[in-house]
Formats: sequence, structure tokens, C-alpha cells
Amino acid sequence: MGSQGGFGQSKEFLDLIKSIGECRSKAEEDRIVLREIETLKTRLSSPNTPKFKLKEYLIRLLYVEMLGHDASFGYIHAVKMTHDENLLLKRTGYLAVTLFLNEDHDLIILIVNTIQKDLKSDNYLVVSAALNAVCRLINEETIPAVLPQVVELLGHQKEAVRKKAVMALHRFYQRAPGSVSHLISNFRKRLCDNDPGVMGAALCPLFDLITIDADAYKDLVISFVNILKQVAERRLPKSYDYHQMPAPFIQIKLLKILALLGSGDKKASEQMYTILGDIMRKCDSTSNIGNAILYECICCVSSLHPNPKLLEAAADAISKFLKSDSHNLRYLGIDALSRLIKISPEIAEQHQLAVIDCLEDPDDTLKRKTFELLYKMTKSSNVEVIVDRMIQYMISISDNHYKTEIASRCVELAEQFAPSNQWFIQAMNKVFEHAGDLVNAKVAHNLMRLIAEGFGEDDDAADTQLRSSAVESYLQIMGEPKLPSAFLQVICWVLGEYGTADGKYSASYITGKLCDVAEAHLADDTVKAYAITALMKIYSFEIAAGRAVDVLPECQSLIEEMLASHSTDLQQRAYELQAILNLDSHAVKKIMPMDSTCDDIEIDKSLSFLNGYVQQAVENGAQPYIPESERSGMSNISNFKSQEDHESSTHALRFEAYELPKPVLSQNVPPILASSTELVPVPEPSYVADILQPAISAPSASDAGSSELRLRLDGVQRKWGKPTYSSPTPSTSSNDTVKIQNEATQRDSVGMSNSKTRDVSYDSRKQQVEISPEKQKLAASLFGGVSKSDGRQPSSSQKISKPQNPTSDKSRAAKAAAPDTASVKTSQPPPDLLDLSEPSVSSSAPSVDPFKQFEGLLDLKQDPTPVSAGGVGSTEASDFMSLFTDMSLNVPTDGVLDPMPNVINGNGLGGITAADHSVQQLNKGPNLKQALEKDARVRQMGVTPSGQNPSLFKDLLG
Amino acid sequence: MGIRFVLMVNKQGQTRLAQYYEYLNLEERRTLEGEIVRKCLARTEQQCSFVEHRNYKVVYRRYASLFFLVGVDNEENELAILEFIHLLVETMDRHFGNVCELDIMFHLEKAHFMLEEMVMNGCIVETSKSNILSPIQLMDKAS
Repeated sequence: MGSQGGFGQSKEFLDLIKSIGECRSKAEEDRIVLREIETLKTRLSSPNTPKFKLKEYLIRLLYVEMLGHDASFGYIHAVKMTHDENLLLKRTGYLAVTLFLNEDHDLIILIVNTIQKDLKSDNYLVVSAALNAVCRLINEETIPAVLPQVVELLGHQKEAVRKKAVMALHRFYQRAPGSVSHLISNFRKRLCDNDPGVMGAALCPLFDLITIDADAYKDLVISFVNILKQVAERRLPKSYDYHQMPAPFIQIKLLKILALLGSGDKKASEQMYTILGDIMRKCDSTSNIGNAILYECICCVSSLHPNPKLLEAAADAISKFLKSDSHNLRYLGIDALSRLIKISPEIAEQHQLAVIDCLEDPDDTLKRKTFELLYKMTKSSNVEVIVDRMIQYMISISDNHYKTEIASRCVELAEQFAPSNQWFIQAMNKVFEHAGDLVNAKVAHNLMRLIAEGFGEDDDAADTQLRSSAVESYLQIMGEPKLPSAFLQVICWVLGEYGTADGKYSASYITGKLCDVAEAHLADDTVKAYAITALMKIYSFEIAAGRAVDVLPECQSLIEEMLASHSTDLQQRAYELQAILNLDSHAVKKIMPMDSTCDDIEIDKSLSFLNGYVQQAVENGAQPYIPESERSGMSNISNFKSQEDHESSTHALRFEAYELPKPVLSQNVPPILASSTELVPVPEPSYVADILQPAISAPSASDAGSSELRLRLDGVQRKWGKPTYSSPTPSTSSNDTVKIQNEATQRDSVGMSNSKTRDVSYDSRKQQVEISPEKQKLAASLFGGVSKSDGRQPSSSQKISKPQNPTSDKSRAAKAAAPDTASVKTSQPPPDLLDLSEPSVSSSAPSVDPFKQFEGLLDLKQDPTPVSAGGVGSTEASDFMSLFTDMSLNVPTDGVLDPMPNVINGNGLGGITAADHSVQQLNKGPNLKQALEKDARVRQMGVTPSGQNPSLFKDLLG
Repeated sequence: MGIRFVLMVNKQGQTRLAQYYEYLNLEERRTLEGEIVRKCLARTEQQCSFVEHRNYKVVYRRYASLFFLVGVDNEENELAILEFIHLLVETMDRHFGNVCELDIMFHLEKAHFMLEEMVMNGCIVETSKSNILSPIQLMDKAS
């Protein structure tokens, strides 16, 4: 029916679509669109355009913007069309407006009125259209304008309206939770709506709410379980079924909610076990949607309080996924595995070979997912292999976004689990060499800190060794071209600190190397600064040790160059270096002590060394210091902040009158401070509290973590400065130590749990004979050995023929049948091939690129293979040929008599035979007629399947 | 939020339908569409139907010459989204009858209407084909 509906379209429109559909390059498309923009500008500006014409123009505007050009000249016409009485025009208007405008656009204000009116309409379709627009266009400021009506519509007699009203409220909640906080209970109410659609919609806001605060919804566990049970028992209308599964999308949403509610809650979890078990048992693991539900069940099970039976079922499902030939299922399997190993770490071991297969698969998505799994199961026994693999992969990819991510993961794992110093340094070198400019600058500083501090044990020898190996490796690597700046900085710093520390390398050797670095990176001031400071350190260590300093000529010239540098920073460093060169060894020892990076520079924050001076001054009649707490009227600096925060968060005008300024209480306080707090009477709790207890609240506020937002001035000016700025020293430092301790304990506990898991996985280490030694080795290093329980065959080339789950067995059968395709196809019910990503399809004919097949680039005879291979897998009778194409449909004679023309037309799926065609006709009786009508019409307009882009006519589905 | 965008792009990289559930300006859309389509076109049929792109996960599915791409959050069930795409295509097929790329081009607004019924605020809200199509059919009758 849709096709007939389109016949009101003008020739002009059809021509436009035709030319867009047939153009061969982006440039051509751009030309068409630019011409169209000009046409539309003149058309839209002419008065008295008929309404239906206007609708068409609006859709043409949609095209303009969809194809990447600005259509803002026509926005106003979209706004106008929302006022129209005609429902179709109105909805098109709303659609265009939602596609064109974002919620902060100036034109929105012109629509709010229309929306208000439409929400009151008697026609529920008008109300629905308005609610759609509400979900897209209403922002925080306009919520109050429509909120009462939306709430009223929650009780509308039409379920479609109630559903959309729920979603509108959900949208308000997303935009401004505060504006609807009193209406949250409506979502609970709608959960019990008679209509499953409304109930399903209510799950969306409830999911958001439960994500934030699960505890407030524990009472709903029983309701959710009940609903899920009813859904699974097919109590919902048939129309919600999808591929024989009852309302799968609602089931999945419910499972997500249950996972949130049951997480860490034994009692809630126990209520869910039965239904979860039922669903997992009933799931049809031959269909995608069945597997989607199964996967969601595993996610849910792994977040609940552990239940052995369910965990076992989940593990079974995972192994089915991993053994599948479908990459989609293996991807889910890997993901599910990484969720489940948190609860039962031993399960990873059963699947080690499958995991390795995924790791070595050329499919990038699968590989990344596997790295995610490895990241989660890293421990000190396998860190070397995993980080090594990660680095290899990191080097091989060019996507900076992911490169950064994987680099920081490498650093994290290496820092946490490094088995030896040498290895750690080597690993870091590789990461920095290949992704140094991508990793966070903090990582470089961490590395320097780590080299300076060692690994924390009080083992000086080990630390020295770490440094020596770092120096050694840096001297080797630093000659390479194109090292990232961050890495060079680390190198310079380490060489400066430790280059000559172990006496292996002479000062002149190291300084020479440092000069090379500085000269090789003339454009990089930071590196030069690091290099010159390193030089300074080396020289001062030499002077301190009483050795004669011999400044190499190249160093000398470098220093001279820096003395005249445009960068004041470099200049200062150079001058300092020069000054040090002229000092005697005693002085140098004092100012540049050897290996002092870890020494804390003690700051006497109470400035006690001035006590005598103060004492004397007081004795001589000076005013004693009055701590701030004893002074009154002093306003708190933090008031400024809270005030500003408040002002920036509410853009609206304030209508309350200003309060009269109060008289300032104390003279020794700057009056501006005091009055400014009172200028704007904002009813914000914290602010009020601050006023009430100005002095006491000040230090506590700066203690409580908010200090990072302000200048850090602790320790400065305690005696004479305004006490508000400084926090009391003891409390700050105690805070710090607490934090450090926390970190330490966390790390400890991580380490402990890891060592535990290692014990478990080492338990059963049995080798299997047929597995290739390479993989065995990898498996052993990752998991601690291959165990018998893994039935997977080793080599990926054998994958196809190995024993498999039913699906792939079928696909094997299909393979066998493939040679005499024609007979198979005519005798068997035409298989359902709707599902392009069905596992069996992907398993077939791996050497043939299906994309090429689509384009008819391959020999025709190869075509049937994938078609039948996938097809036999499912027994459902349906038309598969039109899935790929139906040239034969559009030009019937082609398909029946001779498949070749299809190929000529660039349609490679011509392998479809006449027999199939007739079956399709049977199945698609009424649709075929429609399709032909449709075809006739467009051909009249000049768009033909033999035109430039025949694929426009291919059926998307059968 | 779940679904961030739904795109239909043909294998020449021409956009046939685009619906974003978070605001991106014209330039951002253009780049995003270009990048994603290039990524998906480079993949073979055997490989996963999921691709990571920046902070999106893109679930895609090819029907004849047309790619359906759905950008989702990290927490979304990819396989379910893959089936959601299929449900969308089935729904369009029921409405248009043997739906093809040209149908979507000629009836862009209707394809959008269907999507509007199925997805709101980035969430899947309706999966019953008759519920999705009934307002559209009523509108057709009325006009």
C-alpha cells in the first residue's frame, strides 16, 4: 500500500530521487544537491504554494540535509507545517522539525504553542505526533509548558498515547531529573498497564532509575520476575513474537533490570533463579534472537549472587558460543566469558584454545574483544605474554583512539604485574616508542617516578639494577629516528639522574648522547629543556665527586645556543648550568645532591623558624596575631565559588529583590568580601550554612576534597595571610596518608585475589596431543596449560570439519549437498535466508568473498554454494531469492529463462533458478503484484532496473 | 541511552536515512557517516557484524546493496540490536511489499515514521509490527 501512496509524488521529485539514486560519485551528488538547493529556495519563497507541494519540498529539504548540505533556509517552512490541520502534513512537519533542529534552536519557541494545542487534540494520532516532537524538542526550560498535559496523557484511553507519554516523561527525566522527581511513581504505575506496549515502554525509564539507585526498587523484583515469567510463557499478544520468540526485546530489557537489582543482593537474586533457569533452558539456540536472550541471561547470571546451577548453564552456553563458526556468537562468547570469570575464574581455562583462535583471528572486532578478556584475566604469571601480544597489536593498528586505549592498558598491566625490572623497562620502551605521543603525559611521569622509587620493596640493589637496565636500554634506543617527545623526555631525565650512577658510562659519553638528542630535536623545546637539565645533573655529579669536568665542544655550543634562546625557560636552564660549572664541589653537593629525586623537600608549613622573630616583635609592642576563627565578619572565600556555581547553573533571570546590605561587623575585614556574600540572596543550603558559621566551616570545607578546585595554598602564609586560604597542616597530611593507605590496601587485595586465581588455574594442567605446539605454548603461558575439557581442534583450517553444534552440522550437510545445487534447491522447501549473519552462512565457502559475489564479479557457478549452504540450515519455508535480489522479479523473463542478464546488470545473484522463482511467487502472491506495480510506475518515470544503479531495485528482504 | 543513531547507507556510501538520538551538527554527521561506512565496507561477511568506532559500537547488517547501521552504547546487547535491524526491515517489507532501496528513497518520511514508532529517546519501545504500522496506515487512509 505504501507504494501506491507514493504516487502523489511529482515528476520533479521522482527525477530528483532518480538522479540521486543513480549518481556515481560524491561530487556528482553534491552538484545535484546544490542545484536542488537553488530550486528549493525559489520555490519556497514563492507565495501560494499548495500544501501538498510544500510537503514534498520539505522532504526534498530532508534530502538536502541528509546528504550533508545546509538546509537552514527552509527550517521555517517545517515549523509552519506543524500548524497544519492535515494529519499527514502535520506529522511530516514535526518529523522535519525534529530532524532539523536541536532542542536549543531559536525556532523551537514557535513550536511549543503548537505542541501544547496538539497535546489536547481529540485525534489520538495528532497527540501521538506531538508527543514524538516533545521527546525531541522540549528542553529544560520548556518542560513546564507541556508537563501538565503530558502527565494527563499518561491516563489516556489509547495505549499508543500512554506509551508515548511515558517516554516523554522519560525524556524529561533524562534532561532535567529535578523537574519530574515528583512524578517518578508514574513509571511504577505504568508497569502494571494493561497494554504490553506501555509496560514495555515503562521499562526504559525504570531501567535508568534502577541504574542510579537499585535499592529504591527492590520491592519491584517480584513484579519484574512475574512479568518476565508471563512473557516467557507467551502470555503476550502474538504480534510481539519475533522469530518464534515471545517479545524478545522486552525479555532482554527485563533481564537487564534484574541484573541491576540482583547485583550483590542474595535475597533478590534467589527470587530470580527459577525464571532465569527456565528461560535459559527454553532458549532456541539456533536463532540469533534466541542467542541474544541467552547472552543476556549469562550477563544477568554473572551479575547476580552466584548460583552453581545457573553458572553451569551459563558456562555451557558460553562454550556453545565459542565453538560456533559465527563470529558474532564467538564475540558474544568472549564477552560473556570475561563477565563470568569474575565469579568463576576456572572457566576460562576450558576455553583457552577458543580464546587463542579468537585472538589470532583477522577480524579486528573479535580480536579487540579478546584483548579485553585477556586484560581482565591478567596476572603475574601471564602478564608477559599478554602485554607482549597487546604491544604487537598496538603497533599493527593505525586507529589512534584504540591505540591510546591499548597503550594505557599495557602500561597499567605492566606496572601492576611486572615480573622483572628488565622486562618492565623493555615493555615500557616499546609502548613509548610506538605510542608515546598518544599516552597520557601522566604515564611518562609515572614511569620516571617508578624508575626513581623502584618497585617499593626496600631492596636497593634491585632498584639500582632497574636503573642500570633502564639506562642501558635507553642508550641503545635513543639513536632511533622519530621517537615520540614524551619518550625522549623520559630518556633524558633518566640519563641525567642515573646515566653515570653505576660508573659504567663516562660523563662525557652520556653528555655527548644528550647533546645528540637536543640537536636532533631542535623544534622541541621541552625535550631540549629536559636534555639541558640532564646535562646540568651530570656535570654537578662530576663536580661533586671531585672530578674535573670536561665540557665537550658540542655541549659547549649547545649551551651557548640555549643562552640566546627565545625560550626564557631554556635560557634560564642554560644560565643555571653555566653558574653551576663555576662552583666548587662543596657548593654543588649542597644544591644538587646525588640521587635525591625521592627525597621529600621538607617544608616547614608552620614557619616555626620565625618564632624567635615574632616573639621579639611582640615583645617590642607589635600586635599579636589573631587567628581567623577569633575574628568575626570574615566571610568565606568559598562563598564566592558556590555563588558562581549557582549563577552559572541557572541561566534564568532572578526575580527576588536584592536584600539590603547589612552593616559590616568588623573593621579589619575588607568590606567587599562581606557585602558580596549578601548581594545575591540565593537559597542554596550550603551557602546558608556558610553564612551561619563562617569561620568554622571555612577550613573544613577546604579539607573535604573541594580543595582541588581552588588554588593550593596550604602551608603558605599561615601566620599572616588570611587563614581562610590555608587548611590546617595536620589534617591535610593525614588525609593524604589515608588515601595512600587505601590505595595500598586495594592493591594488596587485588594481588591476593590474583594469586588465588593462579593457584586454581594451575590445578589441572593436562596436555592434549593433537594441538599444535605453538598454540599449546601460548595457551600454557596464558592459562597455565591445555586441559582435556576443551574439545576444540587446534588449527583454524580444520575448523570447518570438526565436530560442532547442530547448526554447523547442518552447514556441513549443506556443504556436501552444495555441488548439485540445482536439484537440492528444487526438491527442498526454499530455505529462509533472511538472516545474512546466520552462523551457517558465514561458515560456508570461506575462500569466496561474498561481497564480490554480490557484485557479480565472480563466476556464476560459485554463487549457489553459499546460498544453499546457509539455506539448508533452517527449515522454515520462505522465499530466499528475493533477499539478495530480484532482477527476475523486476524483469521476469530474465530470471526464468536465463540467469545471465543478471550478471550483466551487475547483479551477481543470478544463480537463482526458475524453480525458486515460482516458489517465491507462491509465497509472495499479493506482494509480487505490488512490486510489479511499483516497478511499472518508477519505470515510467525513467528509473529502470537496467539503469545506472540496478541495485536500487533489489529487495532488501524476501 | 542505548541507541545513538540509526543509519541506512548504500554500498556507494550514500546516505539513505539518518536518525540521530543525540545532537550532532552537520559536519560531525558527515564525518561520522563517512568513517563508519568505510569501516563497514572493508569487512567481510564472515566477520562480526559489530565494529567499534570511537566511543560507539556500531552494529551493522547488509541487505542487498543497503547497509543498516545502528550506533549503540557499550552496554547494549549487540545481537539483539542486529535482530532489531531485521525487525525494522521486516516491518518495512510488510508495509512496502518487497521493500527495496528505492522504496525508502521515495517514502523517506514513512521510513522515519516507522522508526519513530519503534525507537524513542534511544530506547526500543515498540516491536509489534501491527502497532508500528497502524498509525501509518490510518494516516494513509485519512489523506
